[in-house]
Amino acid sequence: MTAPATLRLLIAAMGGEGGGVLAGWIVEAATAEGLWVQRTSIPGVAQRTGATTYYIEMAPPGGIRPVMALNPAPGEVDVLVATELLEAARMVQAGYVTPDRTLVVGSTHRVYTMAEKTAGGDGRLDGTALRSQVERFSRHAVLADIAAAAQDAGAQANAVVLGMLAATGVLPVPATALRRAIEAEGRAVAGNIRGFEAGLAVVPGSAPVPTATQAAGAAEIVAAGVARLTDYQDAGYAQLYRDRLAPFEGRLAIDSFAELARQLALRMSYEDTIRVAQLKLAESRLARVAAEARARPGDIVDITEYFKPGPEEILSLLPPSLGRRALAAVEARGWGRLAMPMKIRTTRLSGFLKLRLLAGLRFWRPRSLRHAEEQRWIVDWLALVDRVQAVDAAAAREVIEAAALLRGYGDTWKRGRENWRLLVDGIVEPMLAGRLPRRHFADAVMQARLAATADPEGDRLVQVIAGVERLGQKTVAA
Amino acid sequence: MAEVSFKKDVEALKLGQGEVFHGEGIMAVTKALLQSGVSYVGGYQGAPVSHLLDVLVDAEEMMAELGVRVETCTNEAAAAAMLGASINYPVRGAVTWKSIVGTNVAADALSNLSSPGVKGGALIVVGEDYGEGASVIQERTHAFALKSSLWLLDPRPELPTIVRMVEQGFELSEASSTPVILELRIRACHVYGSFATKDNVRATWSARDRLAEPATFDYGRLAHPPVTFHQEADKVDRRLPAARRFIVERGLNERFGPATGRVGIIVQGGLFNVLNGRLALAGLSDDRGDLALPTLVLNVTHPLAPEQITAFCAGLDAVLIVEEGAPDYLEQAVGQILRHADLQTRLHGKDVLPMAGEYTPVVMARGVAAFLARYDIDHAGLADWLGRVDAQARALAGTGAPALPPRQPTFCTGCPERPVFSAMKILKREIGPVHVAADIGCHAFATFAPFSQGNTILGYGMSLASSAAVASVQQRRPVSIMGDGGFWHNGLLTGVAGAVLNRDDSVLMIMNNGYSSATGVQDLPSSAPNAEGRGRGVDIAAAVRALGAPWIRRVRTYGVAGVMATLKEALRSPEKGLKVIVADGECQLARQRRVRPAMAKAVADGLRVVRTRFWVDPDVCTGDHSCIRLSGCPSLTVKPSEDPLRRDPVAHVNNDCVGCGLCGEVSHAAQLCPSFAQIDVIQNPSRWDRIRHAAARAVMALL
Repeated sequence: MTAPATLRLLIAAMGGEGGGVLAGWIVEAATAEGLWVQRTSIPGVAQRTGATTYYIEMAPPGGIRPVMALNPAPGEVDVLVATELLEAARMVQAGYVTPDRTLVVGSTHRVYTMAEKTAGGDGRLDGTALRSQVERFSRHAVLADIAAAAQDAGAQANAVVLGMLAATGVLPVPATALRRAIEAEGRAVAGNIRGFEAGLAVVPGSAPVPTATQAAGAAEIVAAGVARLTDYQDAGYAQLYRDRLAPFEGRLAIDSFAELARQLALRMSYEDTIRVAQLKLAESRLARVAAEARARPGDIVDITEYFKPGPEEILSLLPPSLGRRALAAVEARGWGRLAMPMKIRTTRLSGFLKLRLLAGLRFWRPRSLRHAEEQRWIVDWLALVDRVQAVDAAAAREVIEAAALLRGYGDTWKRGRENWRLLVDGIVEPMLAGRLPRRHFADAVMQARLAATADPEGDRLVQVIAGVERLGQKTVAA
Repeated sequence: MAEVSFKKDVEALKLGQGEVFHGEGIMAVTKALLQSGVSYVGGYQGAPVSHLLDVLVDAEEMMAELGVRVETCTNEAAAAAMLGASINYPVRGAVTWKSIVGTNVAADALSNLSSPGVKGGALIVVGEDYGEGASVIQERTHAFALKSSLWLLDPRPELPTIVRMVEQGFELSEASSTPVILELRIRACHVYGSFATKDNVRATWSARDRLAEPATFDYGRLAHPPVTFHQEADKVDRRLPAARRFIVERGLNERFGPATGRVGIIVQGGLFNVLNGRLALAGLSDDRGDLALPTLVLNVTHPLAPEQITAFCAGLDAVLIVEEGAPDYLEQAVGQILRHADLQTRLHGKDVLPMAGEYTPVVMARGVAAFLARYDIDHAGLADWLGRVDAQARALAGTGAPALPPRQPTFCTGCPERPVFSAMKILKREIGPVHVAADIGCHAFATFAPFSQGNTILGYGMSLASSAAVASVQQRRPVSIMGDGGFWHNGLLTGVAGAVLNRDDSVLMIMNNGYSSATGVQDLPSSAPNAEGRGRGVDIAAAVRALGAPWIRRVRTYGVAGVMATLKEALRSPEKGLKVIVADGECQLARQRRVRPAMAKAVADGLRVVRTRFWVDPDVCTGDHSCIRLSGCPSLTVKPSEDPLRRDPVAHVNNDCVGCGLCGEVSHAAQLCPSFAQIDVIQNPSRWDRIRHAAARAVMALL
């Protein structure tokens, strides 16, 4: 015999976002209106950016004090407020959002979890799936990009959410009472009122949800590759790119060809110190930085670049034979970890000149050891793609994609090369030689590639290779 | 000074007769203490009871007026020992801490307190850190109440009942010469509600009205043989009956529902609201708690009054004990009472409800439904609801929606402790893994991704002690992590003194962030002394040196390379014995609270202010995210790449960045990548700034 007039509201938030303050405003307003109201929470250390919840019950005034719940119950939540999309979905998956009852007021923006951020490559969940789950299981979902609305209003997100909640009319307290609660709370009142009004005015709808980037067509990619390599080196180098691609056109499926074009462009524009200097000198950069750092007109923006080229990066600029000898010497003396930490202030003349000097080495690049090694790798890789394509097109596609293991600078780059070596020696070559069961070719390369991407420093790749080898032994034994 | 300001709450503590208090449960307890005429209050901070002490520290003036002594104890043992004032003197006192951990630490003093018993009421307010949101091992405070003969209150989680239990708890304590524990679960500590207040009471004896003479010598007040044998007998012969009498006569427990029936329920007070909600679904109660089954609500869960239990159970076919956690102390006690009375009422409890885990609405519903089904009591509404819960779970499973990654708490943006763990992770590649003894405090977040390190957690300030034997069986020296909170709580003696005494060959990393941060940024002996706080500026390195630690280094945590070099030296040094690294870096939460308003004001006043933050060059970033795996900073995240050839998201520093510089340091120390840049925004630049800037621009434009 629960009184239907009791309103049950669950707030899903992340620590440090002001969820407690939001709950406080609602309770303050309801109390001022004479309602029976109770709020509770489980902040604990979750306030340090972890997921947390607040729970509020409100009942009409009068009578004896009702017995209110301290825990939300599945199927009994009238309103879910979620300040972030995944946290809304988390509440859905916990059963708190039900189609017969729950109004969701939430945000479409994402604050990525640690697992999504730490994955090498793209570990983000599909925002569209999260959103559709929230929409499907709620009675009605009022969703908007609250973070963007807050930024536009120059306010905190919790005030914007309060405004959106007020706009739904679901609360048994009028907007004026909520405004008074913000004023009574007394902290950052102007900003919070601004946020509240912005929230009232938010038009929920099809705010875009972050999703994986769509793949572009092959022609588009080749054009982008040509442009990039012309800028990276020169027109001749871009022509080399075209020439390298040519034998694969028509031989690979169209999407595999597009992927090859993409990876080849990236590998040919490998990241060396010269390239970095080049990028950091881009004219458009300062304005972009100033906007992102929210500099006001009249402010001066200084940029200090963090550079730490190691011996490998510096000595690989030498001609191949000299460079190899120098690197061997460094290795023999255990100087491999020595490096030149530099903080270059590019908005000052001296720093700017240093970068200009480095970028100017571009003409020298084709004569460098690094260039020779990168080109050899590329030639080997293309040959490998060719050989694998002859036996298994799906596996060839995986070998193409596996080029993404090589990227970045310093340790990241070195580790990428090691992981590539492991993958080729542990899986691709044994497969080609028939030592491992070929029907698993594409799958094995993919598993290895994903393992190395998700956990580049860990031993997941080694485990996958060991697993594939065991599979091979079993098959042979059988 | 604590993380949250309690100015408004301090005002609420001043409310008098006939006014209405609005606030959280733990604040209501605080107000109830003042209404009960306490002479002293102490405790050790910890969620969910930190605010009790925090607000009293902020209410210094008012406490002085009332003559209440407020002690910020250095650990729970100190707090429990403080209750010793009530052994000889008719003064009421209360202490607070987080349980079970705090009660464990306090156990020795509690035993020695309860043996002689108390003259003045002694109340121990514990936050029962159990179930969702808990941060400690899952055990029951109940065990301590049983073994030390302490009475245990577990009030219905609404403010008037909580307040009544505080007030009657003191009376119970005095009526039975026994210290009383008031247990509040996490949600009850934070439950916001209201109650009608009374005037605060100034104690007869207090800091304002002092006793002229100390107590006369009375061997009977000592916990020392031979009187301990008499005390043991006194506990059961006199104090226990007195307590039972008080509980029954004063109606501390509550009887709801009809006088008779076929089945009844005995429930811990703290669980009543969850129970009521589910019974309401079954049509056996409503939102005003108008129960259709005889129900006994135990606001006192120890001791039980056998006559009350038998009176309740007589005539019932069966009784359900609703008791959270293991072991089933109440069920055992009720069973024994029924047996002794030769009552044939069937006993249910952990046979239908789970032995372990929180009694959430769904868990409660399944247990209650099983009990009701057994006795053919109509509960269709409850069964329907459970059916809907299950159907919903099936529907969710059928959508094939992705499993959601957890969102654990982590180091705040700019936290000074994160760089130490970045350094350890980078160093691991070079020298291999080491055994890491973790501890309690913010640094325990390093057990989560992306650091995922720590082999044991043995208690607050216990890391070094927990590695004593590890060091003897490992080739590489173990590293113990300890916060300044843990250091003063326990680690100085159990850890450092012990390691020095035994010449343990290991490494201790002390995070000196200036506060007890995880519990809400309270002051410690080593906190910087200032106008508002309690800090005394005691130097940790000096304390360690005084104990005779042979090898002490200080590092600035944000200098990752420096931390790595020092740690490497500590691990590789041929010198034997304890190596202590004091890692200095102020808690960023505390720092930002101070710096941010000051900076905003300076900017508004037109002063030159340099705001620093970091930035990732999206053109240079290749989307490998090594930097994130070595930092985990909340402000270091990812965003879609604008490069048409790159599909993976690039690293991105959002505007929460406080410019601590860790990401730059990490990219240097790990030789990661040159995408990081420091941005200094000079607000209200000086004329010299402007001239230099313009000149540089002009020359660069020419080149």
